[in-house]
Amino acid sequence: MRRRLVGLLCAALLVSAPAGCGIPDSTEVQVDGRGLPAGESGSPNGVRNEPPGRTASGDDPRQFVLNFLAAPAGEPDGAYPRAKKFIAQESQDRLQTKQGSEVALTVVRLRESPVITTNSDSTFSVRLAVQQVGLLRADGTLAPPVATETEYGFTLRYADSSGLENVEPTLYVTNPPNVLLLSDTALRVYYQPRDIYFWNSDQTRLVPDQRYLPLAVPNERRVNEVVRWLIGGPSDWLSPGVTRLPDRTDLINNATGADGRWEVNLAMPGEDAGKLNRLATQLAWSLDWLDGPLDLKIRNQSRRTIDLEKERDANPVYRLTQSAQRFCVYDGAIHPLDFPGEASGSVPVVAEENHHVVSAALNRADDQILAALVVTGADKRLRLRVGTGRDPVNVFNTAPGSYASMDRPVWLRALDKGQPHGLVVADGRLYTFDQSPRLIPVALTVSGRVDAVAAALDGQRIAVIVNGQLYVAAVNLDGGVVTAGPARRLPTSLTDLSAVDWADENKLVAAGSVGRPAVYEVSVDGAAQTVLKADVGARVTHLTAYPTNEVVAQPTNAVMYEANGVSWSDPQFDTIKRTQVQGVESEPPAGQRESNPTAPFFLY
Amino acid sequence: MATLRVPPDPAGRRPAAAELWRALTGWSSRLVSGLHQTWRRSLQVRVVTITLVASSLLVGGFAYLIADKITNILVENAETDVLLRLQSGSDYSAKQLSLFSQPQEAQLQDTIDGTVNYLAGGDPQQTSGVVVALTADNYTTIIKPRSSPDVDFQPLISRELRAAVAGGNVAHQIRTGRLTGEGRTKYLVYGSPVPTRFGQVELYYLVPLTRQEATAADARATVVATGVALVLLLGLLAALVTRLVVTPVRLAARTAQRLSAGLLDQRMAVNGEDDLALLAASFNQMATNLQRQILRLEEMSRLQRRFTSDVSHELRTPLTTVRMAADLIFAERDEFDPAVARSAELLQAELDRFEELLTDLLEISRFDAGFAMLDAEPTDLVPVVHRVADRLAGLAERVGVTIELDVPATPVIAEVDPRRVERVLRNLVGNAVEHGESKPVVITLGADDTAVAVTVRDHGVGLKPGEEKLVFNRFWRADPSRARQTGGTGLGLSISLEDARLHGGWLEAWGAPGQGAQFRLTLPARAGDRLTTSPLRLVPADAPLPFGGPRDGGRLAIGPGSGGALAIGPVPGADTERAEARS
Repeated sequence: MRRRLVGLLCAALLVSAPAGCGIPDSTEVQVDGRGLPAGESGSPNGVRNEPPGRTASGDDPRQFVLNFLAAPAGEPDGAYPRAKKFIAQESQDRLQTKQGSEVALTVVRLRESPVITTNSDSTFSVRLAVQQVGLLRADGTLAPPVATETEYGFTLRYADSSGLENVEPTLYVTNPPNVLLLSDTALRVYYQPRDIYFWNSDQTRLVPDQRYLPLAVPNERRVNEVVRWLIGGPSDWLSPGVTRLPDRTDLINNATGADGRWEVNLAMPGEDAGKLNRLATQLAWSLDWLDGPLDLKIRNQSRRTIDLEKERDANPVYRLTQSAQRFCVYDGAIHPLDFPGEASGSVPVVAEENHHVVSAALNRADDQILAALVVTGADKRLRLRVGTGRDPVNVFNTAPGSYASMDRPVWLRALDKGQPHGLVVADGRLYTFDQSPRLIPVALTVSGRVDAVAAALDGQRIAVIVNGQLYVAAVNLDGGVVTAGPARRLPTSLTDLSAVDWADENKLVAAGSVGRPAVYEVSVDGAAQTVLKADVGARVTHLTAYPTNEVVAQPTNAVMYEANGVSWSDPQFDTIKRTQVQGVESEPPAGQRESNPTAPFFLY
Repeated sequence: MATLRVPPDPAGRRPAAAELWRALTGWSSRLVSGLHQTWRRSLQVRVVTITLVASSLLVGGFAYLIADKITNILVENAETDVLLRLQSGSDYSAKQLSLFSQPQEAQLQDTIDGTVNYLAGGDPQQTSGVVVALTADNYTTIIKPRSSPDVDFQPLISRELRAAVAGGNVAHQIRTGRLTGEGRTKYLVYGSPVPTRFGQVELYYLVPLTRQEATAADARATVVATGVALVLLLGLLAALVTRLVVTPVRLAARTAQRLSAGLLDQRMAVNGEDDLALLAASFNQMATNLQRQILRLEEMSRLQRRFTSDVSHELRTPLTTVRMAADLIFAERDEFDPAVARSAELLQAELDRFEELLTDLLEISRFDAGFAMLDAEPTDLVPVVHRVADRLAGLAERVGVTIELDVPATPVIAEVDPRRVERVLRNLVGNAVEHGESKPVVITLGADDTAVAVTVRDHGVGLKPGEEKLVFNRFWRADPSRARQTGGTGLGLSISLEDARLHGGWLEAWGAPGQGAQFRLTLPARAGDRLTTSPLRLVPADAPLPFGGPRDGGRLAIGPGSGGALAIGPVPGADTERAEARS
């Protein structure tokens, strides 16, 4: 009997044993060790510049209004919540919250101080006289304004503090405008303009694109933001002249960094060495505040480690080799100008051709000199002579046709040494020319009399003055034909503009009048403007500037203009004396009236 | 079991169920007893069973070890794998989340989404069922837990694991659950804390163990199949080997059986030169020797019996003549000298004895020759007993012995040969009277459904131990020096035994020195039936135990007595078979 029992037991064991040694359905928790040590917590790095809150202004309605106009500043996702904190509960519905890329702030410039009137029911009526500056989108671009209002109005009321004692009265906005208003002051204070770079259409040159980075973004995330901008593509007005990153390029998660080393992980279909090289240069210049190495990964595969500083050194954003030299026209001939502390060179035009010059544009393209001269003929009409070649240029061709007026010509910085293009305004129309030389009209998207034209250092952007108003546009040189993209009007305080040039990658120097003739520096989107000289005394007819860039240092006084036949140079805006003109006798020949140097320009 | 569920209400079903139950138990008990019998009878079955059980245990143990080892290795590999992934994932997540210093930041949720998607391999369709999840238990209201692919992973993360990870530990656990809808799957759940600037979030990897489980099952199936095959093979091998040994042994057994049944010319086949062949050869030799011996003995026995018979017959004729002459002399003895007359009387007496001896010898030789025939008829044994007692009353009176009868008042009918039964009883009672030493002789007649029995009890010198069997031998004497005085030819009990055997009955003796003796004749009530018990006891109730044990000759019972001592006493109701012999 016992034996049988043992047998049964064994059989049961045999049957159950193989079933018993599988993977269990559930186990106890097993600890494998400690996790990563906690990172440094607490305060974020960098400038955390948040606009003041609702109660910061106390019961000062004027300060409250200014704070309200700064409230949306910061990261776009928080713009609506921040602004809504200023708005009384009953009026919150007037401001429809938008999400993600739809968030756009209406940037306005106050034409005068807010008009605040106290009402009988202890509320305040606020009137804001504004100039529409633009629409600040979530991607940091400041798009041209879509709203046309020149005045906004809303009311303020005190917060209901009944039942609370010793509470300082605070204000609420009632009946607010249905857009998020941001003053240009707040844009300047809470945002940092950043240039990101896109390759032009034939991918030979980088074109800066200005974005506004909220200061609230911590340092760690700035790289991320910039890479997102690059992926998002250029600003609308630039897109005719530049190329985007390859289609379906996307950032995989965030760009991260630690210990000065950054990592960018991209999804980039069809990437090759050329695309990666260009992307590396683009990143190096767009992240110009970083020096360290950057790991560029494509689909998690490390493809390139970019030393940002070396990359920038190896691939300068502009092909400039020498510092700028100043020239002017004196007695119908081009002469170098002598400025203290600056080297002055010789005139790169043979003397035989250097006569009857009204204005000139000289440009360096590698070892070549591009020269465009506006000359007067015997019939007092103006003609354009164009010559290219080694210094000095001795072969010139005259373009057919003569014009009653012809403004200073400009060269589009050479993209192709063989086919340089220039722009000139003649008889109120914009023309393009090349070495042939032949003046071909360039169509602009705004009609009217063209007064002046200026080309940016990158050669892809131009500024034009049409009907006394300032516009910028991208140009496209595909197929050797210069076409201009849609012109974007820049809102400035200046009216009746007469002359413009590029002072920076993203700044223009423009001359116009604010009551009196004045010279302003205007940002490329019109959001910022600074007065360079409030009273010029006379209408500026000619203006030139050497643009600030990161390749070749700028001379201290890089703006020169001519008004009423007299040339001036900044920053002190002294007149350019005859004595500074080289190659003329110190004393004018007897019987001749002493003439002034005119049409000053830079050779670079 | 089934009967328990039968509701009590329907009266008809309960008996049916009981019937079924009975049938089942009967069947199973038959099966068990059949198995038991097979177990006891078949060496092959025993060897094969033991081999199977032992090898099953051994192979099962090894199989368990191997399968367990394989499973462990698989799980450990998976764990190492996942741990590595988890560590790199945790590093990556920490890097990604280091951009954010507050849980409220706008892009944090997007980053969490992107991180889990990235860690899960980007395309949810292409992942191998691995679920990567990020949770922020400290910021449940601000940060939504996310997983890739997007499934409800929360039930799979136990509270204990959550607590362990929240405490800053990397921990893991195996859990079973349903995530992607293809049924319940085992998951290896690994969790790790991810430090961020605003606190800690938790990263979980949920890796399905389907592949490992399938591999483990495969391995297990292989091991089990191999094990089963091995065990079966061993069983088969054992069966074959045993068969190799058992078959000749069985053959030998069968041959021996046949030999013992009298088929003396049976021999075993001798194959080869191995041990079994030697056994067969020896067996055959033994059989040959036995056969020769038996034949010789048979022949001798036959010759002896023939001789006895012949001698008896040959003696009868001269004896008749001598008898006639002696009768004549005996009749005329008064005319002779007293001394001659005495001789004539002696001659007459010895001739009587001689005649009796011859008769007995002839009877015995008839038994030996197998000519004895049973002439059974339904007979009432009571008058038979009375008749015997009456016949011997004279002799008893001469030696001063009283014969007491203990017979039932009702007739005791049995199918017997009354002549032979009477002869047996006469013999037994005669013996008892002869050895009774003037003490009473008790004749008891008993009967039950199947058998009748007669005991004859005397209180003479009794029998020494071992003599119970000897008394039935031919010409046996208790004391060889003692002269045969009365009747007894020395063949009486032998003939009685043969008579009892002829009936299919028993003739047994019991005796103890000084206690007298008792003989018991047991006969089946119906001729040809097999006896199992006797209605009367062989050992008389008044026989004392030689060592002062319990009366009645019962068995001794040993058990706990008073005061912690052992108590020895008679077993209540125990029957006894002490010093009894049955032929």
